[in-house]
Amino acid sequence: MESNKKYWKGLEELNKTPEFVDNNKSEFAVPLPIEDVLSEAGLSTVTPRRDFLKALGFGLGAVTLAACQKAPVHKSIPYLVRPEEVTPGIPNFYVSSFKGNSVMVKTVVGRPIKIEANPNAGAFNRGTDAQAQASVLDLYDVSKLKTPLLKKEETTWADLDKFVKGELNKVQASGKQIRVVASSLNSPSAKAVVAEFAAKYPTTKLVQYDPVSYTGIIKANENSFGKAVLPKYNFEKADLIVSFAADFLGTWISGEEFTAQYTSNRDYKSLEKKKMSRHFQFEAGMSLTGTNADTRIALKLSEEGPALIALYNAITGASLSGAGLPDNTNADKAIKLVAKELLQNKGKAVVVAGSNDVSVQTLVNAINVAIGSYGTTIDLDNPCKRYEGNDAEFALLVDEMNKGEVGAVFFLNANPAYDAINAKAFTDGLAKVALKVSFSDREDETADLSDVVAITPNYLEAWGDANTYEGYYTIVQPTINPVFNSRQAEQSLLTWADAPVQDYYQYVRNYWEKNVLPATGKTWEDVLQTGVIATAPRTAGSYGFTLALDAVAAAIVVSSKALKKDIELQIFESIPMRDGKQANNAFLQELPCPVTKVTWDNYVALNPRQAEKLGYKEFDVVNIKSESGYSVDLPVLFQPGQAMGTASVALGYGRTKTGKAGNNVGKNAFPFVTYANGTLKYATTATLTGTGRWEELAQTQTHYSFEGRNIVREASFKDFLKDPAAGSGNHHKHKVYDLWTTDKHEMLGNNWVMAIDLNACTGCGSCIVACNVENNIPVVGKDEVRRRREMHWLRIDRYYSFNDEQQGAVTEEKEIAHLDNLENVSVVHQPMLCQHCDHAPCETVCPVLATVHSSDGLNHMAYNRCVGTRYCANNCPYKVRRFNWFNYWNDSRFDNYLNNEFTQLVLNPDVSTRSRGVMEKCSMCIQRIQAGKLTAKLEKRALQDGDIKMACQQACSANAIIFGDKNDPNSEVSKALRSERTYYVLEEINVEPGIGYMTKIRNIDSTTKEVHA
Amino acid sequence: MRNISFGLKKFRKATFILAVLSFLTVTVSKAQDVVEGRTLFKSKCASCHALDHDGTGPALTPKVNELDEAFLIPWIKNNQALIASGNKQAIEAAKFSPSEMTAFPTLTDDQIKNIIAYAKVGEPKKAAEAGAPVADEGVSGLSIAGVIAIIVLAILVLVVLGRAVKMLERLILEKQGIDIVEEENVSLATGLKGLFKNKKFVFFTVLCLVVVLGSFGWMGMWNTGVHTGYQPTQPIKFSHELHAGINQIDCQYCHSGAFKSKNASIPSLNVCMNCHKNVQARTEDGLISPEIQKIYSALGYNPDTQTYDKTKEKPVEWVRVHNLPDLAYFNHSQHVVVGEDAIRKQAGLNPNDPVCFACHGPVNTMEEVYQYSPLTMKWCINCHKEADISSKKGDAFYANVIAAHEKIKKGEKITPALLGGLECGKCHY
Repeated sequence: MESNKKYWKGLEELNKTPEFVDNNKSEFAVPLPIEDVLSEAGLSTVTPRRDFLKALGFGLGAVTLAACQKAPVHKSIPYLVRPEEVTPGIPNFYVSSFKGNSVMVKTVVGRPIKIEANPNAGAFNRGTDAQAQASVLDLYDVSKLKTPLLKKEETTWADLDKFVKGELNKVQASGKQIRVVASSLNSPSAKAVVAEFAAKYPTTKLVQYDPVSYTGIIKANENSFGKAVLPKYNFEKADLIVSFAADFLGTWISGEEFTAQYTSNRDYKSLEKKKMSRHFQFEAGMSLTGTNADTRIALKLSEEGPALIALYNAITGASLSGAGLPDNTNADKAIKLVAKELLQNKGKAVVVAGSNDVSVQTLVNAINVAIGSYGTTIDLDNPCKRYEGNDAEFALLVDEMNKGEVGAVFFLNANPAYDAINAKAFTDGLAKVALKVSFSDREDETADLSDVVAITPNYLEAWGDANTYEGYYTIVQPTINPVFNSRQAEQSLLTWADAPVQDYYQYVRNYWEKNVLPATGKTWEDVLQTGVIATAPRTAGSYGFTLALDAVAAAIVVSSKALKKDIELQIFESIPMRDGKQANNAFLQELPCPVTKVTWDNYVALNPRQAEKLGYKEFDVVNIKSESGYSVDLPVLFQPGQAMGTASVALGYGRTKTGKAGNNVGKNAFPFVTYANGTLKYATTATLTGTGRWEELAQTQTHYSFEGRNIVREASFKDFLKDPAAGSGNHHKHKVYDLWTTDKHEMLGNNWVMAIDLNACTGCGSCIVACNVENNIPVVGKDEVRRRREMHWLRIDRYYSFNDEQQGAVTEEKEIAHLDNLENVSVVHQPMLCQHCDHAPCETVCPVLATVHSSDGLNHMAYNRCVGTRYCANNCPYKVRRFNWFNYWNDSRFDNYLNNEFTQLVLNPDVSTRSRGVMEKCSMCIQRIQAGKLTAKLEKRALQDGDIKMACQQACSANAIIFGDKNDPNSEVSKALRSERTYYVLEEINVEPGIGYMTKIRNIDSTTKEVHA
Repeated sequence: MRNISFGLKKFRKATFILAVLSFLTVTVSKAQDVVEGRTLFKSKCASCHALDHDGTGPALTPKVNELDEAFLIPWIKNNQALIASGNKQAIEAAKFSPSEMTAFPTLTDDQIKNIIAYAKVGEPKKAAEAGAPVADEGVSGLSIAGVIAIIVLAILVLVVLGRAVKMLERLILEKQGIDIVEEENVSLATGLKGLFKNKKFVFFTVLCLVVVLGSFGWMGMWNTGVHTGYQPTQPIKFSHELHAGINQIDCQYCHSGAFKSKNASIPSLNVCMNCHKNVQARTEDGLISPEIQKIYSALGYNPDTQTYDKTKEKPVEWVRVHNLPDLAYFNHSQHVVVGEDAIRKQAGLNPNDPVCFACHGPVNTMEEVYQYSPLTMKWCINCHKEADISSKKGDAFYANVIAAHEKIKKGEKITPALLGGLECGKCHY
């Protein structure tokens, strides 16, 4: 039962726009200017011939001179005293942690070059996210300050200390307040430091705020259960997940951890046990989580409240007023279905909401109590400490500053001048503060307004710790000496407080030895080895709900009504940029958003039908204006699945003082966020007006087309249970004819292959960044991406498909025209990389044999043999070959990345950097294969399955990528490839790809189809 | 062709050195082995004595000329015994320095004679300079000379043949009784003119020129970028001959990475200090050898107070001798450890020599290190094609592939090439 469902990568493919059809004909977006050269003007003028002769003469002379060179003089400078643990050529690994996620840092001769997941972290983070992978580039950022600044002048730490201490004493004498402003400080040692500082200067108070706030949940839990905490969610225990706009696989609280939990119920191992969770997503803008949901229902922001009230009523039989979705029959039906299923899955279900509204979260708590989530899928007794920010406290701070009550303010990992919702009120207030100290590594928006910039090192240069869950501690240890004259913020605070222990390393160690380690019986050295300490979790209790909900429902109705305008604006965190703290990271800027595939910009996402109604074409720049009067101009992006009447704008863009790469990329959306009832609201309203301008977004999505071939294969869970090979096309194999019957590649030793589980892959993109860092892949910038010249060896293709109103699947283009709106779409993410075909079409067309097959199943690419004909890219059916158009590390046009010696320290010395005019592609991390083989050879043992891990595989929290030896029948990859779900992309052309894909399974059945009927 | 000429050249150099040395030996020191004497001197005496100036001990050349062997042999063997025996000469000699001279009872009379012979001759300077393999010009001189010689020979043969033909013609004419018009008085200029008008001659000359220039060009191009013999000047005149050859220090002691990493690694200076904290090779003025002083300066080390001053640290900038392009990945441990047996066999090394010699040449004889192997891809490939790695048969890593390989079953030689060692991606990624 082969599916003939119609998939499309983007609307232009769907609608077959003339530009798309035209672009699609050629391999490369910008044709070579052959016509211009051959046109008459080119040939008849005198200059070309003379120039040619000049060039020829110069070339001949230059070559002659170059050949005269005796030998190149390369300096080789050894250590004066080599540290015992360093052997040049052999990497060292150190455990550390990034934002509370434990990681391993790979260093070569003392410089960190790659972040990998720490296997000791267990369930807390199986992989790493894109931010962690990219964070190593932040260390080598040229935009950082090299010395501390005092009143904008470079200074020494001694002078700076003298100044700050003097000012603090003045503030102390005046009795004014001192504030330490930080985004959630989940380092217990740092908190102790602040407490010590407060002991010396008693008016000190720590104000924690998060640009993307979770105050709503914390307050709701305080109201409902008397516990002002973020709970620990256990998605792995949930058979049914209902999410109201919570992007829990991406940006919500702890995406990587939730991805691992979520996919453990959906990946190939779980499916072999015939088990799969079910996931409903109700949301306005298309989120990463929405793209993975089994059933996604578009829901306006104003409908979220009523939908939740309706759900509560349906589950408990209560009759809170305000329920009902008169304008959204789909959602209405879905809510009823969800209510029924939630009751069936009591104790095995969870409802989450992304809203930061206390009332909404209180209602969600009530629903979760009703379905018995507490104690199973939600754990309030081992709470999450990632976010502790309090929106009200920050609002109060701005007030206090404006009243002139604050004498000194310290910014610790906080940049309110950029991310405060009312930056003007904040900066006005700041001007009235006598002493302003920013702990920042660069002169960012807030540091620019501060008297003192006490520059801090990157986390890879620093000591520290994190406590993200009750009883779960991770260590931060330096992997390189501070490159610049920086000092840790904690150490500065200790110095200014005249603390007895001022060395922060000693301080952290003392703290751990006193507070963390005694209970575990571990030593400090143990922690430096393992990186984590996890004490046995407490038993999660179940909780009752006693609050009266009438007032809560009334509050929800009021705020929902307020949102009911022509355009309801959703402000969200995008997967690559998050809250904008890493905006100067070129890897993240060029990471395509998993849903929209946009790089280097933010945009206004609108439903295509909505935009048509408003008269906008795609990429029309519109002015978007909030009620408070803040407005920005952003291009329109057509987003299928976006709820009608809503628009979405991503946060994290529009930085003005972050550095070369991130300055003025996109527009700042923080001022759109509103503040009401003690929390920040990311749902608001706005008006759109056309500007008449047009600006093309740099998207990677439509760069290659598969011409409607049967690339993505999927089945419903119901069909899968009946027939595991459902939808895989494995029942109808065509007879294949082989041109190379006598000349087969023999894979005698190893046969390296990969299996990719489409049902586990969430599309988050951390593998892309991991691949970039591992393989020295250049960043090309916005303009080049527009010309389809991004260099990513690994991309994730995102395919849309419709859910038919009647039959369940839309199969033909002509049927699409009848669909009245583009709200009901499903998405499949498909990682696409070199397939290492055994009958590789690229190999046969290379005139210089630069790409050839190996005896272990790999398609080798010899860069120095390549002359750049690009025939291979033309002949590759998967479009995974990338051509180097420039010398990206030695060209002033690419200043945002490698074009300086400092940033070049991030390069992996085991992978050559490619030059202009050379083709490149996924090498299956051949450097890792060779290194793994050599280790086995040196130890005189056979290679074990799992000895060698690909960079992408290692980063994947979902375990969607499995790599190994096909010749070993017991390897994990062999087992995975034997799955009935496995199919090969374009297997009908018999190129014998080395990468098998496992069908996407959606847990939908006839009842869910009714939702859309 | 290049290998042969290279080999020939080595041979020629070796013979030359030998010849010069033996000449010197024969003429000056009556069949004593100066070379062995030099080796012994370097290992036993050089830490206190120099040939031409006083150090801890007196300058040796004047001493050996002044004193006779009858005294010197027992003195060197055990000077304390000689002094104790009341030998006047010995008591006089002991006054040179308050510190006692080490006794060398293990040295044989012949060995001491060799040392004396060497001390008399001094450093065979000319021979050493001529013999030291100076940077190769790239183009093989011998083959070019051969070509020229052939051409000259051909011209000579032609000239002789021409004369002979003329002579014969004249004889025939004489026999026929025809008078011969003598051309003796033809001037040189007209002769040359005639030569240029001679089409055969012009053709031949042009041909010769084309051949000569062509072969120069061909050789030049083959050797562009090949730096065999490259011997840059290093910041410290470190002698591998002394350390690896005479003192027999294991390669791994300094290049510790070679056995576990891709980089052999240049030793950091703390490795040097393990010995050179004590070995200072002071001159007669009590000055530390200037080369060793360079180590101290780089580390900010004060030998008098034995303290380090971190502020004066300044790394030593060595010049890389073996430059592999960045596009080629080479791992020392793969070759030095994994492939050791095969490489030894392939290069025909002595069992006592380190495997490193296979590619780096006889480092223990190099006063200053030069590039011994061409480091071209052809050179790599040749070894990968020919080296016999059948000793790996018992190795668990290779078990699967060797068991599966049809060609190996048929008894074909197991080479790296057979196991995929010629594939581009094995070295280029």
